[in-house]
Amino acid sequence: MVRQQLKTSLRVIFLLAALITVLFPLVWIALASFKTAPQLNDPSLLFFEPSLVNWKFVLEAGILQAAGRSAFVATVTVAISAVVGSVAAYVISTYKTGGSATKFGILAAQVLPPAVLVFPFLTLSYVLGVNDTLIPLIFAHLSFVLPVVTWFLIGFFDSVPRSLEEQARVDGFTRFKAFLLVVMPQVYPGLGAAIIFGFTLSWNDMFYGLILTPPNSTILPVAIAGFNTFRGVELGSMSAAILVAVVPVVIASFFIQKRLVQGISGGAVKY
Amino acid sequence: MKVNPTATRNTSRRFTLWMLLPLLAVAGVAVGLPLVYTLYLSLTDFSLIQQGVAGFVGFDNYWQSFTNQALWNAIGTTGTYVFIAVSFETAIGLMIALALQKQRWARDFTRSMLLAPMFITPIAVGLTFRFLLNDQLGAIPYLLDQVGLSYDFLGSGNALFTLAMIDVWQWTPFMVLLLLAGLESVPKQPLEAARVDGAGSFYIFRRITLPLLTPILSVAILLRSLDALKVFEYVYATTRGGPGTETETIQYFTYQTGIQFFRLGEASAMAFILLAIVLPLIVVLFRRLESKA
Repeated sequence: MVRQQLKTSLRVIFLLAALITVLFPLVWIALASFKTAPQLNDPSLLFFEPSLVNWKFVLEAGILQAAGRSAFVATVTVAISAVVGSVAAYVISTYKTGGSATKFGILAAQVLPPAVLVFPFLTLSYVLGVNDTLIPLIFAHLSFVLPVVTWFLIGFFDSVPRSLEEQARVDGFTRFKAFLLVVMPQVYPGLGAAIIFGFTLSWNDMFYGLILTPPNSTILPVAIAGFNTFRGVELGSMSAAILVAVVPVVIASFFIQKRLVQGISGGAVKY
Repeated sequence: MKVNPTATRNTSRRFTLWMLLPLLAVAGVAVGLPLVYTLYLSLTDFSLIQQGVAGFVGFDNYWQSFTNQALWNAIGTTGTYVFIAVSFETAIGLMIALALQKQRWARDFTRSMLLAPMFITPIAVGLTFRFLLNDQLGAIPYLLDQVGLSYDFLGSGNALFTLAMIDVWQWTPFMVLLLLAGLESVPKQPLEAARVDGAGSFYIFRRITLPLLTPILSVAILLRSLDALKVFEYVYATTRGGPGTETETIQYFTYQTGIQFFRLGEASAMAFILLAIVLPLIVVLFRRLESKA
């Protein structure tokens, strides 16, 4: 009995330590975003009168515009991925269309190092005269968001019973209508998770953004990095900018955590 | 109603191809075309600052990269980084997953909070730790100082390990997520049978839980390694490859060669060398995932 209690307390202490390790940096950044420059010089400062000076600064520096561009790129990327991906994932799952070569391609594209693809996007955008737009970035993001979304959806389609579609065909539905009206609604929760996850991936990417966006109209992760070099380290404004990027996706992530495992493993593991 | 089987198969075939076509088209433009173009670039002396048509140089870039000690250093650095980060993530992730599995009180809250780091943009994580570890303004050196310790986190000899620990902070949650799912799909009967027979909990873990967990564990390690190989943001945010070239990872080195030194041809050849290293891992991962489905 005593041993059991000891084990339980050890477990709770361990989890608390893990929780503090996760939360401490985030809380510290949140506090720092409300500190003035002199207050930031004191690393022991916990209680202070909050100041909005950093928030004012990042808003005036155009952090919301950068966030808007990030949201725009992510939305377009995910919208294309969701439509193209669900249509393809359905036939890959149900009819094994494309065979394992297609599936391998989809998996490989997800994990491909971005250095392999980025230079063509850069040179082609100059050749085509779209180098001052967000179009090259959208294509670059499609290169990994589309495979991830498709991969997720293959797994979710795999768990829909074939009999549903067969029944719809007997009832006189065309193949496409059976897919759209009968099978598709079964994977809506999975599609929702894939959309949020794909959005997060696009929103969080910095490598492509750094190379492919024009300096004066860049996306959020690159804008955050900009606070690092601009007039030395501006810790307060950097912290505020970090929060702008972090808070929305962390909140969104709470809704998809359960379906994420099934998606990542291509349906192989359910949670 | 009589159905002609050949006709059905033909319509079915045409239908599936039409459904797959949009994916092939978009992926062709977003992945296929750049891949071929990078291959072409890698065979030229293309430079961002030189005017005119790039000249065909055959395998010169590959030869140059292969004999470039800095590239091998970057590959070695990246390998060390991946090994340290993924080992820690696996060990800590497994411990957290086992602890979380037994957690009842505030279950969903604890899980959500512990998983949060993996959804944060890596550049933000890198900059956060740069701030926290700063030797004058940072909270962590300050706390260490209070107990009489001093450690130069981003100094020579320590920087790569520190970067790997930033990776551990952000990506252990990924391991926890997958391993927790694995633990919960482990069948309960063998565990109970062993317990009835009086087996200790460590014995049960080593002989029953761990073997049953191996498939998902290997998938998680592979996915994590493939992702950690691409490390860029932490380096960009904290050390920029330094001190010296100690933390110059392959992705950062390629970025420098192509974007900062404008040598796109050479950088493209490096990218393909990287691809050759990564490809076997992708094949293993694919086999693992397909064998379970």
